[in-house]
Amino acid sequence: MFKGIGVSAGIGIGRVYFVGQPDLDYSGVSFSGVEGEKNRLAQAVARFGVQTRELAENTVSRAGQAQGEILLGQIAMLEDPCLMEEIHALITDGLCAEAAVDRVCRNYMEVFAAMDDELMRQRGADVEDMKDRLLRILLGREGADLSSLPADAVLVARDLTPSLTVGLGHIAGIVTELGGMTSHTAILARALEIPAVVGVPDVTNLVQGGQSIIVDGSGGVVIPSPDEQTLQRCRRRQESYRQARSSLSQYAGQPTRTMDGHTVALFGNIGTAGQAEQVVQETGEGVGLFRTEFLFLERKNLPTEEEQFEVYRRAVQSLSDRTLIIRTLDVGGDKEIPCLGLEKEDNPFLGVRGIRWCLGREDVFLPQLRAILRASAFGRVKVMLPMVTTVEEVRAVRELIARLERELEEKRIPYDREMEVGVMIETPAAAMIADLLAKEADFFSIGTNDLTQYVMAADRGNRKVAVLGDPLQPAVLRCVRSVVRAGHEAGIPVGMCGEAAADPRMIPLLLAFGLDEFSVDPNAILRTRRAIAGWSMEQVAELTEKVMSCATVQEVYACLKEENCFK
Amino acid sequence: MVSEKLTVINKQGLHMRPARTFVQAMAEYQSDIAILFQGKRVNGKSIMQVMTACIKQGAEIELECSGPDEEQVLAAAVALINAGLGDEM
Repeated sequence: MFKGIGVSAGIGIGRVYFVGQPDLDYSGVSFSGVEGEKNRLAQAVARFGVQTRELAENTVSRAGQAQGEILLGQIAMLEDPCLMEEIHALITDGLCAEAAVDRVCRNYMEVFAAMDDELMRQRGADVEDMKDRLLRILLGREGADLSSLPADAVLVARDLTPSLTVGLGHIAGIVTELGGMTSHTAILARALEIPAVVGVPDVTNLVQGGQSIIVDGSGGVVIPSPDEQTLQRCRRRQESYRQARSSLSQYAGQPTRTMDGHTVALFGNIGTAGQAEQVVQETGEGVGLFRTEFLFLERKNLPTEEEQFEVYRRAVQSLSDRTLIIRTLDVGGDKEIPCLGLEKEDNPFLGVRGIRWCLGREDVFLPQLRAILRASAFGRVKVMLPMVTTVEEVRAVRELIARLERELEEKRIPYDREMEVGVMIETPAAAMIADLLAKEADFFSIGTNDLTQYVMAADRGNRKVAVLGDPLQPAVLRCVRSVVRAGHEAGIPVGMCGEAAADPRMIPLLLAFGLDEFSVDPNAILRTRRAIAGWSMEQVAELTEKVMSCATVQEVYACLKEENCFK
Repeated sequence: MVSEKLTVINKQGLHMRPARTFVQAMAEYQSDIAILFQGKRVNGKSIMQVMTACIKQGAEIELECSGPDEEQVLAAAVALINAGLGDEM
């Protein structure tokens, strides 16, 4: 079994099929004179244009406009006078067309690879694809035809490019060595609904052509030569996935409302900018939690304001005019983050973390706030503060934001003057002063994961107190209910970004409490919408009254079980 | 030589398709066109140079044209950029 990144959900069962990698060795090519080589090049470029336009048309109908654009961009790159000049110069020096193309393209690949911007780095992959195809044409070795693959083929390759995957139909699975959530392979696999796992190092050497293999695109795992037991288990998972998928697809793009028309907002929680696209694909209505810690992980130096701005802006733009709620940096002494110099504490969960930490480190906090403010010019951005326990914290942040806004005004840098600032309710203190916080904040978002932990005084990582750490505990339910009430009394909306928002047992209660926004894992968006559609406000009111009169969590479970909430 | 300063207003800036639209339009003219951006000088007919300059939405640039049809190419370039290069704004 090999681990990678699951980028397209589902289970694929089939046989390994290697993508034919045409040989790009040009060492046997002999130089046929400067004019001769230039002519060969010109003919190859012309053929490249024709071939690419065909590929682009095909790709657009399969994987969308953007992927087709990449191919048309390759033609434009070859028409670049500077690029051609460089290739011609090398030919004049005595290199054959293949060598000249190879050298110049590799130079550009290096330039793009060294750039900070992720989109720029992807252009490097486009240059490589262009180089490979042009070389194939020059060498007279065209690529493999993937349109005639058998349905049980599991495509295994180092990487898949737009040109390689033209004509690809619905096969059993895809496995690659390179790539990530937003690479071409991932986008294509999701568009064609083929289970896919990328980032499996050296996989092309670890499996053999024709070998049976299971691709678990949801779990990010690949199982070569599975035994009968595993096969049966996976076939069952495959079938239930298929059923769930078809029953869920009717909820795509629909408004989120109860049977009797009560509407709520359904958002997604994301941990990277790329996942914003996934929220859109799953037809989420916005992002209720954008965790920003990933920007700071595994690096020696702090991310610059510019770098953060690019990431936030990209997320905003993926969402068009949907809301994006960005949570400011939420770190503490329990985490390992080299560039932040976090001090070890004896009791990190009760120490300097979340907003407390940020207010003590303006060198980190201000660039983040500035980057968020600048990104707010591009869409509907809101800021959310984690671990709030006092009114002073919110006021301090508002003051910082006001200062930054003045600076941006002076420099004529655009930002959203109406950008909302919300507070995460995840501590007992915040819940108790919710009435006071509601006057300082534009919205609340309840973080049930931490709230449950603090309210029940039970470490969520500790199995011995796992039952205590359940949001269905009466104490937590009362807490959530009172927070929603306090918010509404002050006229602000209340959302929830903890896991509880997607829990079918919690959903009817949350609806009855009046929760305005449910923000869930992108993979849970459709089933949450379906769960909400299964209730009427009358039903949830009745159920919730019973639940709230339960004295123990066991009684709560019994009550919910009666109503068949364990869907 | 003629020149003009302006701001890039479209969402993607001079990346991918808008860059392509720009350089393909500029290719129709004889004159040279350079884009000055943050101290860099970029050949406006070279998509590689334009893309690697990373000119984003909001960037302030200066266009410099010289040659027989310099007035026309400058006017065309300014119009294209102000119209958003076919991209969203």
